[in-house]
Amino acid sequence: MKFSLAWLRNHLDGDTPADELAARLTSAGMNVELREPSADDETWDVDVTANRPDAMNHRGLAREGAAAGCGTLKSLETAIVEGAARVGDLAKVTVEDAAGCPRYCARVVRGVKIAPSPAWLAERLERCGVRPVNNVVDATNYVLLDVGQPLHAFDLARLAGHEIRVRRARSGEGITTLDGVGRTLTPDDLVIADASRAVAVAGVMGGADSEISSATVDVLIESATFDPRRVRSTARRLGLKTEASHRFERGADRAMARTAVDLAAELIARLAGGEVAAGVLDSDPEMPAPHEIAFSLARLSAFVGCAIPSEFAVKVLGALALEPRVAGDIVTCTVPPWRMDLELAQDVYEEVLRHFGYENVPSVLPSAAVKPGRRLGSWPLTERARDALAGVGAAEAFTYAFVSSEVEVAAAGSPLAQRGGVVAVANPLSARMAVMRRSLLAGLAEAAGGNLRRGAESVLLGEVGRVFFDRNGAVAEEERLALAMAGNVGPWDAPRAADFLDLKGVVEAALSELGITATAWRPASAAVLAPGEGAEVVQDGRVIAVAGRFADAAALFDLPAPLWVAEVDLAAAAAAADIPVFEPLPRFPAVAADLTVRHKLLLLYAELVAAITAAGPDWLEEISLVVRYRGEGVAPDEVKTTVRLTYRHPERSLTQDEVNAAHFALMDRLSRELAVSFS
Amino acid sequence: MATEPLERAREEFLAALAGAGRDAARIEAVRVRFAGRRSGLLRDLEEALKALPREAKPAYGKALNELKQLVEARLAAAQAEAEAASHRQQALDVTLPGRRPRIGALHPVTLVRREIEEIFLRMGYSVADGPEAEDDWHNFEALNFPPDHPARDSQDTFFLAGGRVLRTHTSPVQIRTMETTPPPIRVIIPGRVYRCDSDLRHSPMFHQVEGLVVDEGITFANLKATLEAFVHVLFDPRLAVRFRPSFFPFTEPSAEVDITCVLCLGKGCPMCSGSGWIEILGAGMVDPRVLRACKLDPERYSGFAFGCGLDRVALLKYRLPDLRLLFSGDERLLRQFEGAAR
Repeated sequence: MKFSLAWLRNHLDGDTPADELAARLTSAGMNVELREPSADDETWDVDVTANRPDAMNHRGLAREGAAAGCGTLKSLETAIVEGAARVGDLAKVTVEDAAGCPRYCARVVRGVKIAPSPAWLAERLERCGVRPVNNVVDATNYVLLDVGQPLHAFDLARLAGHEIRVRRARSGEGITTLDGVGRTLTPDDLVIADASRAVAVAGVMGGADSEISSATVDVLIESATFDPRRVRSTARRLGLKTEASHRFERGADRAMARTAVDLAAELIARLAGGEVAAGVLDSDPEMPAPHEIAFSLARLSAFVGCAIPSEFAVKVLGALALEPRVAGDIVTCTVPPWRMDLELAQDVYEEVLRHFGYENVPSVLPSAAVKPGRRLGSWPLTERARDALAGVGAAEAFTYAFVSSEVEVAAAGSPLAQRGGVVAVANPLSARMAVMRRSLLAGLAEAAGGNLRRGAESVLLGEVGRVFFDRNGAVAEEERLALAMAGNVGPWDAPRAADFLDLKGVVEAALSELGITATAWRPASAAVLAPGEGAEVVQDGRVIAVAGRFADAAALFDLPAPLWVAEVDLAAAAAAADIPVFEPLPRFPAVAADLTVRHKLLLLYAELVAAITAAGPDWLEEISLVVRYRGEGVAPDEVKTTVRLTYRHPERSLTQDEVNAAHFALMDRLSRELAVSFS
Repeated sequence: MATEPLERAREEFLAALAGAGRDAARIEAVRVRFAGRRSGLLRDLEEALKALPREAKPAYGKALNELKQLVEARLAAAQAEAEAASHRQQALDVTLPGRRPRIGALHPVTLVRREIEEIFLRMGYSVADGPEAEDDWHNFEALNFPPDHPARDSQDTFFLAGGRVLRTHTSPVQIRTMETTPPPIRVIIPGRVYRCDSDLRHSPMFHQVEGLVVDEGITFANLKATLEAFVHVLFDPRLAVRFRPSFFPFTEPSAEVDITCVLCLGKGCPMCSGSGWIEILGAGMVDPRVLRACKLDPERYSGFAFGCGLDRVALLKYRLPDLRLLFSGDERLLRQFEGAAR
């Protein structure tokens, strides 16, 4: 908010240098961010925090200056001269909704002459960013910037029945506000009305019908307080943010409503002539009993961590008008009506401490006995997953958790992503961020595509993050790891385009890093994956990962190269054992025998291995793939698979005869059960 | 002079050897010509010694010996060099690029997060987490943002269907921690947060880390020392730390925390807009209303909380120009962090 230095000085006795005033205000939390000097004044831009509406005016900021040791705050003088006519004979105020409007004060000034404001006034307003209009309107704005009370001036002649009624709007009631916009109100909105219609939206903006014009002769000045919540909800609904609503939303001072109407009437009479009618129309002159806060000086010092001298605390609180009374260790304060932010002892601690200066508090590390810290929740799992993706050579990417509906649906075509409905963002920044992802592949496939389009020869990205599901109206979150691979995977002297087995190798390695064992791969028909080029990884009958070629890469991201992707449900890793347990090393020699099996392509390698395992002896230790051959001498629908069988008995040496017998028996059984041949 | 033929022989030998280069056969020809047992020039020169007058013999003999040593040494060196060259020609150029397995790269925000976690784990803090789709109570109300309060305006909230919000800060995990853990509490809460805002310095999704300490007798002085220790380990022990009064609904009193600009060390530069300071943390003493919302007695317990943007720390630490780069998935950026300490 902008302030005039000369105006601040109007409220302060003493002539603290400008630099010192700025520095002390900043140190006390009123951050003077920018200073623009001019011939006889300076404009200051001060960051007044949202909890301090009372300092969003010159008098309020000057009070902070005084508390910070820059002079003393002058008392607020009004020298109003009233005429003979009584205000009660000229106008009437009725508050029908006292909860919405705790206090409404009005004065009448008759016989004004509307004209431009004098230069000094126009200049001060402009310095604070307010456009001068005419002497009456400017006077109300001046008082607002001076003491923080929003005011409104009505043309009394245009108020039907010369009457003010503060009431709820009627359903569908219309008003044209000062900005010329027609608005429709609801009974939740509070209005200022005359005998027949709404003439202002309370605390937000006046109506065009009753505004001050060049023809105005008699003025009714409104100085009121309104329920912050009501003002806020009306202002939000109407999409209006005004100086008045900004202040009323944060709370206005009930006592100042009364003082400000005098200040405004006096200024209007001075600037525009006219006579101030005798008396004030005041809906509720009774002030509620002030709030008191008592605190212990010893506890204040203990809270801060160093001794705060009692005289210092009392001086600051006195300057802030908290009327501190000391009785031994206890200080009792009375909260002035403009300090709606002060409620608890700790709120008062802050007042003392920010003026004491944070820089004057020593630094002392906490010395409580502590247990060793550890990672809680899903952190151990997700950290392990990040190490896994880095361990297989991927670059860790962060992609947005919200994506376009189109991409989300394409990526969600897998059993992992179908564990609930999609969660929509009610107020997305754009259609590209409309829904929460159910699969990391939504963002990661797009990121991989971006790299390929930028000309990358080879892409290997990984991401660890959350996916979101709607389950019966509740939002469920699960942790995932995803990988995306494309382009070259070979070394420089043997380049090779990535294929499914490259992806599978990376996924297998990542699963090992995650401690996920005992899994089986099987062909998948997930929609996210191209038909015939995808797999599911199954553990205990549950799909824990999908892997394959991303089906819609060309359509969605315009990618020429195949994009290989995988996603893993990290819940599967949660149960994984962290600590390997030693298995005794083999003590007896192994006998290896290769076996070449010619079989239909339809027979999966996993099925062949399962059949060999079933057909072999208990001491068939390992089956490993040596070579797969298709081509000359092999029918187009067949393949020759050579595997190496390792026989080893854990408790004794095997003889060649018993190995041979077992091996032949195994072949025998295979050819019977699988219709395969050996060659 | 009687040694003149030796001088000539020496020059001829050096010229011939230089002419042979690293070719083993030509070096062998040079050897045969000069040092051959039967017909070499050295042998002839040795024969010539016998014919010299007696007084000339010592000088000639000495010069001849030196020449012999030179020839032997130079021949041996040339032969060794030729052999090494022949190996090189045969097979291996060790300067060719290796067939290297790809190494991974953690995201820069992951790197700074882990660095920060390590600092606090060593000080006895645990690392907590919570949901990203939050309810109003944890994201706002328990943190002293009453319904319909203007303080909520600063939060630029994304709303989800069903009344949840995408958490606008990691502070709801403070509430979840206090609701479930009796003091003493020492946690930090790194995590992903969301606000509807997007420009050079704002991303609609970004990362924060918060800290929370609650115990009997926790003071503002404790807060100051903790943040100073943190900044000094994370950035540089020479940095000054400045606390300015500020306002957050969930702390009282509140502070903005500035550090000396890490780039110019306070001299003033474009990164700190010439001020010499960089705003990096928000902090304060836990508001008693927040303690009470978590059913902790503010008469007995006090605490402090602090928070900072992880993305911003990554930007500062790695001199990245634009926040949005962090979410681009661009491997040209990400692979710059290959091999960074994990």
